[in-house]
This record gives sequence, structure tokens and C-alpha cells, in this order.
Amino acid sequence: MDRLACVDLPDLPMELLLARVPSWAGHPAVVIDRDKPQGEILWVNKEARRAGVLPGMRYAQGLSLVAGLRASEVPPSEIAGEVSGLLELLHGFSPYVEVSSEEPGVFWLDASGLSRLFPSLWDWAKAIHGAMAARGRRAAVVVGFRRFAVYAVAKALDGVHVLATPEEEEAALHRVELACLRLDPLLYETLARLGLRTLGDFLRLPAQGVRRRFGEAAHRLHALAAGTTHDPFVPARPEEPAACLIQLEEPEGDSVRLLFLVRRHLHRLLWQLAKREEAMRELEIRFHMDFQGPLVESGRLGAPETDPVPPSWGDLSRRRGICRTDRIRPADPTLDERLIMDLVRLRLEAVPLPAPASEMGISAFGAPAGKRQLQIFLERPRRDLSAADRALARLRAELGDEAVVRARLKEGHLPEARFAWEPLGHLRCPSPRPSARPVLVRRLYARAISLGTRPRHEPDGWIVRDLRCGPVVRMWGPYVVSGGWWRTEVHRAYYFLETLRGDILWVYYDGPRRRWFLHGQVE
Amino acid sequence: MEPYVPLWVKSHYSFLEGASSPEELVEEARRLGLSSLALTDRDGVYGVVRAHVKARELGVHLVVGAQVTVGVRPDGGGISGSPRRPKGEGRPTDSDLRPLSSRIVLLAVDRAGYSNLCRLITLGRLRSPKGEGCVTWEELCDHAGGLIALWGGLSWEPEPAPLAERLREAFGDRLYALIARHRQAEERQEEARMVARARRHGLPLVAAPEVLYHTAARRPLQDVLTCIRHKVTLATAGRLTMANSEHALLSPFAFRALYEDLPEAVERTVEVATRCTFSLAELRYRYPSERLPDGVTSSQWLRRLTFEGAAERYGGRIPSEVAAQLERELALIEELDYCGYFLTMWEIVRFCRERGILCQGRGSAANSAVCYCLGITAIDPVRMDLLFERFISRERAEPPDIDLDIMHTRREEVIQYVYDKYGRSHAAMVANVIRYRPKMAVRDVGKALGLPETSLERLARLVPHHGEVTPWHMKMAGLDPQAAAHRHLLRLVEEIQDFPRHLSIHPGGFLLGHEPVHDLVPIENCTMEGRTVIQWDKEDIEELGLFKVDLLGLGALTHLDLCFRLLERHRGVELSMAAIPPEDPATYEMISKADTVGVFQLESRAQMSMLPRLGPRRFYDLVIEISIIRPGPITGGMVHPYLRRRRGEEPVDYPHESLRPVLEKTLGVPLFQEQVMKLAVVAADYSPGEADQLRRDMAAWRKAGRIGRHRERLIARMRAKGIDEEFAERVFQQIQGFGEYGFPESHAASFALISYAAAWLKCHYPAEFTCALLNAQPMGFYSPATVIEDAKRHGVEVRPVCVTASDWDCTLEPTTQIAHCDEGGWETRSPLAGRAEGGDPDPMPRDAFAVRIGLRYVKGLGRRDFEKIEGARRASPFTSVDDLVERTGLDKGVLSTLAQAGALERLTLPRREALWQTLGAKRATHPPERVLPMDEKELVTAFSELTPLETVLWDYRTQGHSARFHPLAAVRGQLRSMGLPTAAEVAAMPHGRNLRYAGLVICRQRPGTARGVTFLTLEDETGFVNVILWPDIYARHMATVKTAPLLGVSGALEVEGKIVHLIARSVWVPEVTLGEAHGPSRDFH
Repeated sequence: MDRLACVDLPDLPMELLLARVPSWAGHPAVVIDRDKPQGEILWVNKEARRAGVLPGMRYAQGLSLVAGLRASEVPPSEIAGEVSGLLELLHGFSPYVEVSSEEPGVFWLDASGLSRLFPSLWDWAKAIHGAMAARGRRAAVVVGFRRFAVYAVAKALDGVHVLATPEEEEAALHRVELACLRLDPLLYETLARLGLRTLGDFLRLPAQGVRRRFGEAAHRLHALAAGTTHDPFVPARPEEPAACLIQLEEPEGDSVRLLFLVRRHLHRLLWQLAKREEAMRELEIRFHMDFQGPLVESGRLGAPETDPVPPSWGDLSRRRGICRTDRIRPADPTLDERLIMDLVRLRLEAVPLPAPASEMGISAFGAPAGKRQLQIFLERPRRDLSAADRALARLRAELGDEAVVRARLKEGHLPEARFAWEPLGHLRCPSPRPSARPVLVRRLYARAISLGTRPRHEPDGWIVRDLRCGPVVRMWGPYVVSGGWWRTEVHRAYYFLETLRGDILWVYYDGPRRRWFLHGQVE
Repeated sequence: MEPYVPLWVKSHYSFLEGASSPEELVEEARRLGLSSLALTDRDGVYGVVRAHVKARELGVHLVVGAQVTVGVRPDGGGISGSPRRPKGEGRPTDSDLRPLSSRIVLLAVDRAGYSNLCRLITLGRLRSPKGEGCVTWEELCDHAGGLIALWGGLSWEPEPAPLAERLREAFGDRLYALIARHRQAEERQEEARMVARARRHGLPLVAAPEVLYHTAARRPLQDVLTCIRHKVTLATAGRLTMANSEHALLSPFAFRALYEDLPEAVERTVEVATRCTFSLAELRYRYPSERLPDGVTSSQWLRRLTFEGAAERYGGRIPSEVAAQLERELALIEELDYCGYFLTMWEIVRFCRERGILCQGRGSAANSAVCYCLGITAIDPVRMDLLFERFISRERAEPPDIDLDIMHTRREEVIQYVYDKYGRSHAAMVANVIRYRPKMAVRDVGKALGLPETSLERLARLVPHHGEVTPWHMKMAGLDPQAAAHRHLLRLVEEIQDFPRHLSIHPGGFLLGHEPVHDLVPIENCTMEGRTVIQWDKEDIEELGLFKVDLLGLGALTHLDLCFRLLERHRGVELSMAAIPPEDPATYEMISKADTVGVFQLESRAQMSMLPRLGPRRFYDLVIEISIIRPGPITGGMVHPYLRRRRGEEPVDYPHESLRPVLEKTLGVPLFQEQVMKLAVVAADYSPGEADQLRRDMAAWRKAGRIGRHRERLIARMRAKGIDEEFAERVFQQIQGFGEYGFPESHAASFALISYAAAWLKCHYPAEFTCALLNAQPMGFYSPATVIEDAKRHGVEVRPVCVTASDWDCTLEPTTQIAHCDEGGWETRSPLAGRAEGGDPDPMPRDAFAVRIGLRYVKGLGRRDFEKIEGARRASPFTSVDDLVERTGLDKGVLSTLAQAGALERLTLPRREALWQTLGAKRATHPPERVLPMDEKELVTAFSELTPLETVLWDYRTQGHSARFHPLAAVRGQLRSMGLPTAAEVAAMPHGRNLRYAGLVICRQRPGTARGVTFLTLEDETGFVNVILWPDIYARHMATVKTAPLLGVSGALEVEGKIVHLIARSVWVPEVTLGEAHGPSRDFH
């Protein structure tokens, strides 16, 4: 008979929260879906549970039960990251692990066929429990026969439990208190009012009566508990890129030849993706390099090593790590082979390999592709915005992601707070609005230039920049910008200065720092 | 030479924009050496009265004005191109005006200008949602008379070509171009544009930066207020907040430096202020005239009504002293031209009588024989020797204040009657400004600072309703008081205290005017439909000496009215306030035992602990009882001397024979405001009006120290009369505690009438009393749970809610006593039995009726649900749960609540079975399309019976009380096993006994007069136990005392006569699980 185990890390998001805010340990605390008094409580710690706070309540409701109830959100990405780490860990104990899609911290493991690796199921379960403890996680591990049964028992018990027979499992299931399960609060409350405390009590209700009164979800729970229906065990399937490994007979350092090698295999990989109705979103090329050959200067392939200083331990280890991974991301998921090769070429030319490669691993990661994307295989080039997008993608590939940005206007008082640079993903057709106001062109310096403390008192007048500009002959201002008292107090008195040569400079006196700064120039 | 005048100044009455009070602005102006200041709040004159008072005090000239929001209609507004509307044509009613960023500041030159300003603001406000206002250019021009307009501000809207000409035409030389400088670069262009416009149209420039606070230190608060107004945080506010802190009042030097290139614009500020000669002191107010019979003056009409009423009151023979008093009062009323006000009140009372709405005048109006004869009040001031001058005095020259209590459920009828009678333009309700208090401040300021809302909610629940938010509160909420954001929070919460947040309505104050009210003060909309409200509150009205009609809701009158109706319906006894037998010994006996739960004014914990000491035996004792439990007499140290004299433990003496008539009825101890005034008249030769001024100064002594000027005079004159100096000093100390903290005798007497009526009904008709009290909820001191438990202890049978028997309200049902009456006769006779010969004596016993709880008490059951039940059961009685479900069509939630409340027990048992059935009934199923047919048999499921504790718990959860058990009766076995006695057993224990007791907390109090002592009232199924916690004990157990619904107390018993107190040594939480089986407690009110 197949055996199955459930690993339950109770209130995993709660634990993540307490790890982030250790001072909350020992106080009633909850995880909520949003930072509002009406936010829903998703997870509670034992102190809060003891005070009657339950998942499903509103925060304000919980606060009325416990005056000092702490609350915060836990981002889904944080939970997903931890679940992913746990999954990796559990894969060390069973090749087949299912991650609960509804409850973070719940996993099912196939426990069959492990007798050669572990003396007994008990030892296996205990090892899992120990691994979890070593990771700093409290877990219940229950080995049994039915997917729902092991889940329910794991919810109710702590530690390691191996249920020897289906009968034992059934008895344990009947003893599980409904309060341990993450039931809909209303359903739980109604069942409690009917005097039903355990799954055994719940199973005494007629199935159709449950459906009639409480709906499909409750009926399904009843059926799962009764064993009249089963959820299949669905082990997690790791993401499979289309990949290949290229072993080179001789280490290859020439980028052109390497490009041809990549191209030879790329077409096949793209076909694999296309068959899965996917387009390539990322191409990963992993070079294994051979340092037995002549050393090359960092940054330029083929140039001799000229640095007389012996390489540091870090350099050596990095070099002997024999790996370099390049990730090429097109603007959109694509199956356009020419475009992708262009990007690969740019990357290899911009950042050549420090040593000849002896092996290349190429992985093409896909994303769901629409019909249009699949049509790229038809090779119908035409001039449009996407061409510009591709050009920008080339720039990004050559110079990095931060190379292509655009200015976005922001509401702020400080000049530098009135705009921000943001990555430009796609181009749009411009639609300038006619302005009734005259436009001043003012060049802002990325960083204001300090002018010191006493520039106005020099004998020859106020020389702001250099002697060629001459001294200041007129000034307008002050125009005061102040604020930020809740973070860092700012107080700037701005002036426009006209120099003898006719330059118009934009300076300010920084009150808190007691210094003058040149912030820009009118052109 | 005048330095300059700030002409564009907004106080914190520009809600959530200005960051200083009008008083602070005036004081700062004075400090800076400015002799004039304008107050120009946004679309309102909310702050002008306070500014006027402060300006008068400091000798600053106040220019009254407002910044008015102007908008255009989507078609571009009414100026450009469109012909002018003829005067008198209906105003536009469009509410889709788009506000412009142009600023128009209007300043009142004269009285006519002020009227125009008020009318214009009213126009804009009444068409807009609450809190907003917007007028058109056309309307602005129509109201230009007597107003100076400063036109400017930041505006990029294209200027309609004829606009400037039209404004120029309307305002003439009273139109100025406003040059506002706040040291912002963007202003230069706008200013250039403004100057060009001014030159083009020949407008003089005037310098007027926008002032939002009196000093720059308020800038952070102004930022926060802006964030609150726009519902953003400081981090996301962007340019919604001001760019800098250049919005403070400037010194003359700084102002001239700011406008050094425009000296003529600075000079012009003085010119503008000089032109504005209007002062609020010019406001003349006329009370509206009543419609009178032909040829009769209001004075004659009042006289006629008064004497007709007197004849009725005194059975046709008006006693000579009454007639003399009436003559004296009528002469003064006529002299002061108050006749209209009395006639209005008479009209309102007459309306109430005609509609059967119970009402009664309260307060100092009961000092007036005219009010008594007009039926406004119910106390005979002549018989009670009440002081008329407490009500009206020539010296005071202030309008009288008649407060009319109206049964609270029908007050709205009276309010709408007043609106209908006088019209919306001549009657508007007085405002009540909602101000920041700690809880709201923590939430709003914290949000603006970007703090987590959950943390703020936690903190807000911990801070007190009034007072300071301290680092200790922060720590309790798990927040670090040293964190920068939290320090900002503490400081800003402190600063924002008392700042106006929005406008609300006074509970019942009306301003009526002969001229339209909107000539005096703008009127605006309220959230509540059918209500309009003026922009001034009660204190503003009083300050300006305007007449206010107070129509207040009083639950006790509703209670009495319902009780009278029950008596008439079930016993055929017709009763009214006047018909209740006076001076009933049984009633006083009950009162003296402090058996007064539900009795108006006598039910509070403090009153109940005083009643056995005072032992009221006649009506006047009740008047004293009501007056004596007030902060005034308590802090004045009058309670114990009075009690000792009353018990004969101390001789009743008078410091001077001349004071005997004044103090005789209170055994030589002054207890009422009138006595204080009479003392001043008799002992210190004050005139009655001066004596009233003394009372007013006493009321304000904490604020202004105005009492000091009376001290010397009082003591010196008393000494001169031969009164011992020590006594004179003591009297002065005593009367200092009065003022607003003491009751006038007339007010106490009015309340005592209601109290006596309620007590009499409780004493003789407890079932009717309880039933009416439950139907009048919410009102009174105690929760319905306590009222029901008290009724049960008095032998009233309280029957639980039942779907087949309960009405919407609680009702009376015959008990078995009625069935027995034919055989054995009545054991208990009604107090009215045989009273009226041949009339309708009440032949039924006291316990002839039981109270059936009404369905209104089932939470979540609405009136419409009840009507469905009522309609179905009228057709035929329900036979089963399915029958109920089928014929009423109630939804699942309501049905399950009814089942849990035990309302279906007559249809099926146990309650869990009923719940299961209602959940599965055909109409209640979910989802409907997957329902099994009703005839399909379902496996029978056996559900357990509820335990007694579960029964109580379910009752409380669904109704907030239990008609079946007291929660502690359900766990009495457990409590017994812990060796805990009942309240009845505690009451029988001797003085000094050490004991442990546990009860439900129904009241927590820490009065300011008790020097930190905390009082708790605990309840169980047998009665109450009063607990006293000394400050150190309270401090040690504060969290438990404040939060535990079931509390255990260990301590020693203090018994003084019939007064029993448990003096706590420690408190604890008993290990008994009650869940939600407890009612709400009355905490720290």
C-alpha cells in the first residue's frame, strides 16, 4: 500500500513575520492582508489564538479582543521564496513533493520506496523533522495513507507521527478538532454552535445535509474526511527549460566561432519552446572556461596578462570557478532567432570571455506565447515601434538594464524631486501637448556643486564658477523651498545669478548646512 | 503710521487648512504691533465671533471677510457673452460648478456688505455637498454691495474677456488686484500677469500673502492638515503641501522687505482696512414676530395667554403673590422686548400637546411664573420660592434661555414644525463644531505621517477620549516612543487637539430671526437630510446675545409616555405627569432603599449610594438629591454638612439672621445656584442682576479668573453685616465650586418631577415600567440586561423572545394572576384603585402582567423582517420551522439568528435542532439550485441540549441579554465551589468582614471629584455590590479593572447603615468561562 506523508509548518507566514520583527515574540500578533483596520487576518500566532483571535476576522475585530494585537503584512514573494527553499530541502527526502497551493507551509511527500535509504518510515520522518528544525522551522510530520487524513492529523498534532494502519489513521482523523483546520470562520462558528467539535462529529452529519446548508466547499471537506473523494497527489514539477550542453573538443576563445556554435543549437531550442506554445523570455549561456591555456587580460579576449601583481585568492577562485553565466533577455518573449543572436553577439563583444571556453550550456526559458509571437518564425520584418524596442534591447544588452531610461515627472517641491528616471520598456508614439506657458530651459546638475560658505565676500565680487564668467552682477530671489521635517529637514533659498559674461546661474543657500551650492544653469 | 494690515488670513476654521486659531492670530498680530487684522476663512465666517471677542479684548481692529470659491459652469460661466440675469430671477441650481483656482477675498465694508457676504456664502454652500461651497462670477457681482474684493491668487484659467469689466462695474473702486508673495519662483510669472491685468483695468495693487498660521512653527501641522484634507501621506503629498513656511503672520519689517519693490501695495493694505468699518458689534437682531390676532400686540397677547394659563393652573383663583410675580415678570419681558420669544415657546409647546408629544421645559426657565402659566415648565416657581433673576435680569441684557425637553423619539417632528413655521431662511439649527480629540487625532495624524494603520488603530484604542497621549500609551501599543516618526506623532497630536475637523449639528439649538438668518450668518447643508445649519455654534450665539431655541430630546419622557400608554391599554388607567399621586410614601420608601434602576436621574452609582444616606421623604428632598450629586456641591464640601444636619448630628445654624430665609430650606448649607445669588443679594447687597453676573463669573473662574473681583466685595460686605469672616470665606470657597457644575434649583425641580413620576411607576407598576423602559432604549444608565435582571428581582416575569408571541416592541402578557383573580380576589390592590369614585379604578394586581421581550432585541432582525413574520402569523399560527420559513421568506441569516435566540422553541426543540432546521430549510438553502426537495427525507441528526451557560451565551450573543438566566446563575455552582458569595449574601454581612466576591462589571467610574478613587458596580443574579478601589490598588490592577467583564475582588466590607461598600485589596479574574455572556458596562462616563 502506498504511503504518503504530510509536512506541516504551522503558521509559516506568521513565523516569517516574527523573524522580521523579533520584538513581537510573546505578544499577540497576526498577519493581515492589508494594512487597514478592516484588513483580514490571515495568520495568527499562539498568543493571539489564545485570546480568541482567528483567521478570517477583521483586524479591528481582533483588536477588540486583544488591545495590543500587533499586525503586519507579509509579502507573497517572501512566502513564495521560503516555500521554494523548503521544497528544495524536501526534495532531498523524496523525489515527489507536492506543495499546497492553498496553504503555505503544507507539503505532501511520497513516502514509498524509501526502505533502502532509511531504516524505517519513522527514521525518515524524523530526519525530515530534524532538517526542518535545523532550518529553524517548527514542523509536524505525519506518515499515513490518505492525502487528506495525513494533512488533518498533521494540523492537529506536533512532532513526528507514523500511522501504522488505515484504521489507526481513521481514528486519528476522527479526533482532529475542527479548530485546527483552516475552515471558513462562518462554517467553523456554525458547526461549533451545533455542538460539533471534531471531524468525527462533523462526519456524523449527513453529507447531503451538509451540502444543503453549508454549500459545496463544506460538502467537499466532508467527502474528503469521509474518504468518499480524494484529491490527487500532484508532485511539483520543476520548470524545464529547453537546454543543451555543448562539449568543445578544443577550448574556444573566439567569440565569432562561439556565436556560430550558439546559433547552431539555438534554432532547435526555439523549436522546442514553440512546440510547447512558448516563446523565449530568457537565454542562459553558461561557459565553462579552461585556464590551462594562455591567460587573457580581464576584459579583453586574447590580450596577454600584464598585471605584475599576482592574482588574489578571490580572483583565482573566481577564475577557477570556471563558470560565467550570461543571461540575455529580449524586450518581449520572442522566437526571432536573428534578434536573439544579435543580442548574444552584443553581449559577447561587450564583455568577452576571460578565457577560452571548454563547454557551453545553453538553456532557453519560455513564457506563454501568443499567436503573434509564434508567427515570428514566419519572419515578416516590418518597420514599426517594435524595431525601436529591439534597438533599445540591444542597448540594454550591451550596456546593461539601466542604460535605457526615461524621465517621469513627479509632484515634489525640490527640483530633484520633480522627476525620476525610470527604465523604459517600450516606446510609445509621442503626443506632446501645446503649452500656453513659456518654457524655461534650465540644465540641472546631477549633484549640486558646493560653493563654500563665503563666496559673496571676495574682494573682486562674487565669482561663482570661474574667472571667465566674471563676478555676479545681478541676482533674483530668494525663492524658498523647505520641508521634509518628518525625515530630513531641508531649507534652500534659491537665487538666479547673472555674471558679468552673461551666464545665468542657479544657486541656493542651504540653511541647515550653511553653504552655497550651484544647482544649475539657464541656457 | 500704520505698518501694514494682513488682509488674507485663514484660521483653523478653514477646516483642515489653517493651522492657528482666530485667537492665536489676533494675539500674534497684537504682539507684532499690528493694529488691524482681517479674518477671511474659506467660504465661511465660522471664526469671526471668537476673533471679534479676542480683538475687542486686545484692542485690535478686526476686518471681517471670507475667501470665496468661484466656479464656472461647464459652458464657461455666466459672464462672458451671456446676458445678465434680471434681478430677482431664480438662482441657478446647478451643482456642477467647476471651482477655479482664482482667489477672491471679500471684506465687509459695512453692515450691508456683511449681509451680502453671508448671503453669497449661503448661496454657494446650499448648492454644494457638505463642507464645500462655490459661487459663480455673476452671483459674486450681484452681491458686491458693501464688499471690497481682492482678486488674485494663482490662476492659469483663461480670463473671460468681460469679467474684469463686470467686476469693476459691480465693485467700483472696491476692487483690488491681490499680490500674494510666498517666496516661490512660480509666483513671479503669475504676479507679472496680475500686474499687467491690473494696469489694463486700472486696478490698484494690494499686498496680501496668504496667512495660514500665526507662526512658522505651525508649518508641520499645516502640512499634516493638508494631508488629512486630501487623504494622502506626507511622503505622497507632492505639491499638495506648501513649498515653504512663508505663510505665517509677518512682522512689519519682514512684510515691507517682502514687498520692497511695491511700497504702494503695502500702504494700500492700511487703506483697505480703514475702509472696512464693519464690526460684529453692529449686528442687530430681532426675534421673529408671531402671528397675532388683529389689533393685539405681542405684549398684550402674551399677557392674555399667561393669565389664562394661570387661571387654569390655580383652579380659577390666582393667588395674589402669583399675580404680583406675573406682573413683575411680564413688565420686564415687555421692557426687554422678549415677548416674541415666549410666544414662540408657547406655540411649540402647544404643538407638542396637540400631537401628544410629551415635553417639559427645563433649566432656569422653571424660575419663571410666566413659563409655568404658559405650560412651558411644570414647576410653580412662586410656591417653590424660585429666583426669577436667575432666568432674566435687566443688568445682564442677555436673552433668556428656554430649554425644552421633548420625548426623544418624536423630537424630529417638532424640529420640522419649526422649519415649516418660520421657513428655511428664518430658522436654522445651530452648529456644533467637531474638534480633534486624542483618538481621532492619532488616527488622522498618524495616517498623514504614513504610519501603519494597524499600529494607529491599536494606539487609538488605548488613548483616552480626552487628555494627553503620552509615551506610555505608545509603549502599551508596542510602539517605540523614541522613534522619530512616533515623536512627530506625539507632538502633532498634542498640537492638533481642539482643532475643528468638520461641522455638525447642535443637539437641538435653533436660531430664529425676524430678518433672514442668512443676513446674520451663512447657512449650509448638513449630512442629515432636511436639516440646515448656521456657521456658528452655541458659544458664538451666546456671545452675540442671539436668541436660541433649544429643543432637546429626552429619553425619560419617551419612557414615561410609553408607560402611560401601556397602563391605559392594559389596565384602562389614564395617567399623565400631572395625575400621578404626589408624595407617595411607598415610592419614597423604594427610593430611600436606592432601588432605582431605570429611574431618571436617580439611577447612577453615585445617586444610589447617596439615596440611603439622604432618605428622601418628600418632593423637595428629591430636588436636593438631584442637586447634591454634582461636582459643585461635592467639591464645595457641602454634602457632608448637609447630611449631618439632616440627621440631626449637627445643629442647623445661620451665620447671620438675615441669611435664614435664603438657607433655611437647605438647613443652612447653600446647595443651589439661586441660593448663591440670593446670598450675594442679602449678605453683600448685590442687585439681582449683579448676583447673576457673579454666577456667570463663577462659571468662568477657571478660565479667566473673573471671580477675583467679587471676592473682596463679598467678604467685606458680609463682614460689615456682622457675618463671621471665616464663614464668609467658607461661603466664598463653596460658591466657587458652583457655576456650571451646580444645578439651579428650578432645573433640579424640573428633573425631580420626572424622577418622581418614573419612581412612582416603578414602585407600583414594575412590569409596565420595565416594558416601557426596554422600548425606550437606548437611554439611561444601564444596559437592557441590567434592567431585565432588576425587573426579575422585583418579581416581574420576563418572557423570552418568541416568534409566535413577540411583537416588535416588548409587550405585556397576562400572568397567571389574572386567571386566579376571579376565584380569590386580588392580593395586591393598585394605588389607583378606588381613587376616582365611579371612575376607572384599577382592579388588577401589581403582577398581573409579564413582559414579553420584543423581536426588536434580536440582533440583525429588521423591522421589515418583523412585518413579514407578523403578516404570516396573522393569517394563521406557525406550525413548524418549515412553515415559518415557507410563509415568511426570511433569509438564512435572520432565521438562524431567531433559532439561536430561542425564538423558535415553541416550534422545535432543542435550539440546536432549530438551528439545523433553519439552515436547511428550503428558502434558506445555499445554493438554491442544488437543494434536495423538501419531501426528501434526511437522516435524523441528534443534537445535544444547550447547557445553562450555553443558553445564556446564546441569548446574549443574539439579544444582548437573557430573559432566562443571569449569566452568573448559570455558573453559580462553580462560584460556590470557589467559596464566593452572592451579592445578597454580601449585603447581609457585617462591617469589617474580609471576603472574596465575583460579579459582572456593569459600571466603572473615576470621577474627577474623587481624588483618583475608582468605583465599580458589580452585579450577579441577586443584586449589586459596590466596590471602591483606592488609587494604588487601581494603578496596580488597571488593565484587569478596565477590561475584565467578570471580576473578582478581595477586600474588606464597609457598612454604614444601609450603605455597603467592598474596599478592594486586590482584584483578579475568576477562572470561570463566560464567553460573551455579559452586557456592555458603563465605563468612565
